[in-house]
Amino acid sequence: MKKLLSVLLVVCLVAGFAFAEGQGEKAADTIESKIEAGQKMTDAELLELAKQETGAFYVYGNTSRIAKAVSNFVAKYGAELGLTESNAVGTKMNDTDIYTTLFQEAAGASNKVASMVMIQDGAQLSIYRQNSSIMLNYVPSTVADKVDSNDLVPLVHQYINKLFIWNNIGDNAPVITNVWQLTEAALKDKVFFKNPAAEQVNMNFLIMCTSDAWAAKLAQAYKDYYGKDIELGSYKNAGYKWVAEFIANVNFSISSDSTICKTMAKADSEGCLGLFVLSKTRDLDASLKANLTVGAFTEQQVNPFSGFMYPMYVQMTAKCPRPYTTMLFINYLMSSEGFTPWGGAGTDILGAYSTNPEIGAAEGDQPINFWKDCLVAEDASYIMVNKSAVTDFVNAEIAKK
Amino acid sequence: MNEITKTAVHKRKLKYRVRDFVSKPENIILSITVVVLGFFTIYPLLLLLKDTLTVNIADLLYPELFGKKVGSLTTFHWKRMLFSNMSSTYFWNPLKNAVLMSVLASFIAILYGGVVAFLITRTDMKFKKFFSTVFIFPYIMPSWTIATFWKNFFQNPYIGSYQSGMLYWLTGICVPEKFVYGLVPCAIVLGLHYAPFAYILIGGILRNMDANLEEAATILKASRAKIIRRITLPIVMPALLSTFLLVFSSSMSAYAVPQFLGGASGFSVLTTTLKQFINSGWYGQGYIMSIFMILFGLIILGINQYVTGSRKNFTTVTGKSGQISYIKLGVWKYIAAAILVVLCVFCSFMPLVSFALESCTDIPGVYSNLTLKYWIDPGFPLNNGLHGLFYEPQVWAAFRNSLVLSISCSFIAGTMGILIGYAVSKRRGSKLAKLADNLAFLPYLMPSMALGAAFLAIGAKMGLSKTMGLLVLVGSIKYLPFASRSGINAMLQLSGEIEEAAIIVNVPWYKRMLRIIFPIQKSTFISGYLLPFTSCMRELSLFTLLSSGSIYLMTTLLEYWQVWCDQSANALNLLIVVTVLAINLLVNKLTGASIDKGVGG
Repeated sequence: MKKLLSVLLVVCLVAGFAFAEGQGEKAADTIESKIEAGQKMTDAELLELAKQETGAFYVYGNTSRIAKAVSNFVAKYGAELGLTESNAVGTKMNDTDIYTTLFQEAAGASNKVASMVMIQDGAQLSIYRQNSSIMLNYVPSTVADKVDSNDLVPLVHQYINKLFIWNNIGDNAPVITNVWQLTEAALKDKVFFKNPAAEQVNMNFLIMCTSDAWAAKLAQAYKDYYGKDIELGSYKNAGYKWVAEFIANVNFSISSDSTICKTMAKADSEGCLGLFVLSKTRDLDASLKANLTVGAFTEQQVNPFSGFMYPMYVQMTAKCPRPYTTMLFINYLMSSEGFTPWGGAGTDILGAYSTNPEIGAAEGDQPINFWKDCLVAEDASYIMVNKSAVTDFVNAEIAKK
Repeated sequence: MNEITKTAVHKRKLKYRVRDFVSKPENIILSITVVVLGFFTIYPLLLLLKDTLTVNIADLLYPELFGKKVGSLTTFHWKRMLFSNMSSTYFWNPLKNAVLMSVLASFIAILYGGVVAFLITRTDMKFKKFFSTVFIFPYIMPSWTIATFWKNFFQNPYIGSYQSGMLYWLTGICVPEKFVYGLVPCAIVLGLHYAPFAYILIGGILRNMDANLEEAATILKASRAKIIRRITLPIVMPALLSTFLLVFSSSMSAYAVPQFLGGASGFSVLTTTLKQFINSGWYGQGYIMSIFMILFGLIILGINQYVTGSRKNFTTVTGKSGQISYIKLGVWKYIAAAILVVLCVFCSFMPLVSFALESCTDIPGVYSNLTLKYWIDPGFPLNNGLHGLFYEPQVWAAFRNSLVLSISCSFIAGTMGILIGYAVSKRRGSKLAKLADNLAFLPYLMPSMALGAAFLAIGAKMGLSKTMGLLVLVGSIKYLPFASRSGINAMLQLSGEIEEAAIIVNVPWYKRMLRIIFPIQKSTFISGYLLPFTSCMRELSLFTLLSSGSIYLMTTLLEYWQVWCDQSANALNLLIVVTVLAINLLVNKLTGASIDKGVGG
């Protein structure tokens, strides 16, 4: 009996040590610990560790350019990392689809597991980061001290702007110097804007307009334009009033920024303007580009804002099958070479701005600091608190149209 | 002792009953159908219901749910959707719009399809063969293609996007905005899309109608109008009602058409609002709309069954006179044909011409300067790096995936449809047969978007997420109603004697199916395969969530391209429509099967 007990004790001890050792290995082997280590590594060090990883490399992003970025990465590192166009794929997906897919992958429901995602809506991202563990933040050592500290957690890869851009053909070109012009009867149905009910960043812009800071600026802009104080009536502040009157005037008949851009550039669109992504002008030839005027680039600019800008966040997935490859890829995305699918200095693509200040803007564009001064920027914490109420307000106004 | 004997007798009886039950293939088929379909139709419904009663992560943005645990129970979604100050915006108004649109679409479909059916089956109008082939094109084409064409055609510089459409470009005619965007065009487009449905169902009855009834009325000197009012209409009334209910149900769950033709103000129906909620991650509120759409479907199914079950019986096929007396239209046979040619060209051919033209424009909507670069340019660098269609690798991968998916779904749904048809006809009137029949029809009433969302959860639980297998599963179930209708129609036409002769000489069941039943009703059965194939090739809503990030299909690719590049999207649209039409025509030529046989039997 004693012998038996001794044997059992030894077995338990060995098992206990083995378990403890296994746990120790696991702790040192988690994605979090690899990220912690990776954040101190150079590209060369990450590359060495990434070479030891195997398997496919999938990336989802709320930007069509993600496919090109992955393709460029494969062209540069593919041979060393065993990646090809078929096992390294970047796919365009919207934010909600990305979250749904990540939850499934986290639950082990799929063999195909993403390594990294690019997310657009900051408020929703904050909610998911706070209430789930499907994503992890990584800050490359190469840019940690260069990127604005507000853009590090979660890491912002770039900012994209949507600007007031109008067709400049003819005598009745809608030259906009003050956003209150957009609420006037003369521009009824002439302002093209993607329906905010279908485009979250457009909704976020309208939500931001209701914040105290922007409401005050809008009230001042009203006074500047009409020469009298704003009368709010039943509206909570000038932001709500502007949003309501802007929605009453906008035209939702085109459901894509690309098409709005191409439409605005046509001769048929005399007297029209749009609030759309500046980078969409990249697909226009020079003769059509000449038909467009960007409000922010005019001498007087637009009071109090020339449009809005929103961030594109980068997150690693908690189930990331190739963590070092992913970190190397994020380093690559934050470099001028990795940023080329979206633009940057040396390209002719306007409208996308890396948070790495060493990557300048494209020729003919302005740097990120210029845009921070003249555009409505997203504040995820304000949007989180006010999203439901302002979304209801906006949808009720759309229903009145 | 007596008790023991009774129990033994009872057990023996039960044993014989079970043995008798399982010895008949129709019982096994029906039992398996009830279990499998019960799981795959009821389970998704329960998942949807659960989401409407629990807190999702994105719901935590609502102040009312701040601090709540994800997954905890709540009645917040129901209260907000049905009884809050936003109910009219999010629910009641979209519901009203959806009902109005669906009722209008049903009337248009019945009026247009019914008149055409009458002209083709009961009059001496010219070019009948041409019309019977071409008239069903709009049903084969995705509904959004007609919506896109409608916008491309009627848009003018004074409305919507202020661009010139084809009509304005050719004639300078400007139609009012309400005719291009909003409720009326949505209803017209859906009506045109489903008119072939009315044509097939009503035409089927008119074609088989006993001519004696009308002849008797003619002998009694009844006027032509009176004959139509007192004889023809009552006979086709059940088909009219069935068409109304089916078109109503389909229109209620239409998403693409109201989305395309919303116009400057937007036009919200239940599906467009549902999509907004799903896009925001607010599944609970979105699924309440799905549940209401399904409830509408169930009510419709109930009404349909009540009416078709309690209606006066009109025998349309008898052993007597098969000769139909055609109404002589005189000169009107040419005028009616000419009008119909214009309508058929407009609905069936002009969309194709429009897509071809748009895909060749340098600037969308400007037809004076045409180019083929969006088709054949191997290195076209603009438009997000898309090549000409023939050189774009994504297209051919998506083409292959769509074909594999459609063929797989059509094989599974078609085969299940034949088996269900066989079993239901054999056990006609039994509770089990009714249950299997209803369960097989239930997926038709479920909005594609909601079914897709429910299968997302099922896929995760079964380890099938983002696989072709999951797409095949959901596609087969969604399109089973078409195949089962076709199978039941085909089997009900067969006399029991045909199989009985083989049973007497002990021919096994599978041989009876393969050697006797299938060859006799071959073309109707193949039509049952064709319907799921066609529907699957043009489906978007069902697969968009299930395939994202893993498998590109032609339609999901088109969804992305529409945001990137108009011309490439139009080229892809044309490729989808031409592929579907070509396969339908090919199958029709080779086997005699056609969509109308599948629906109408």
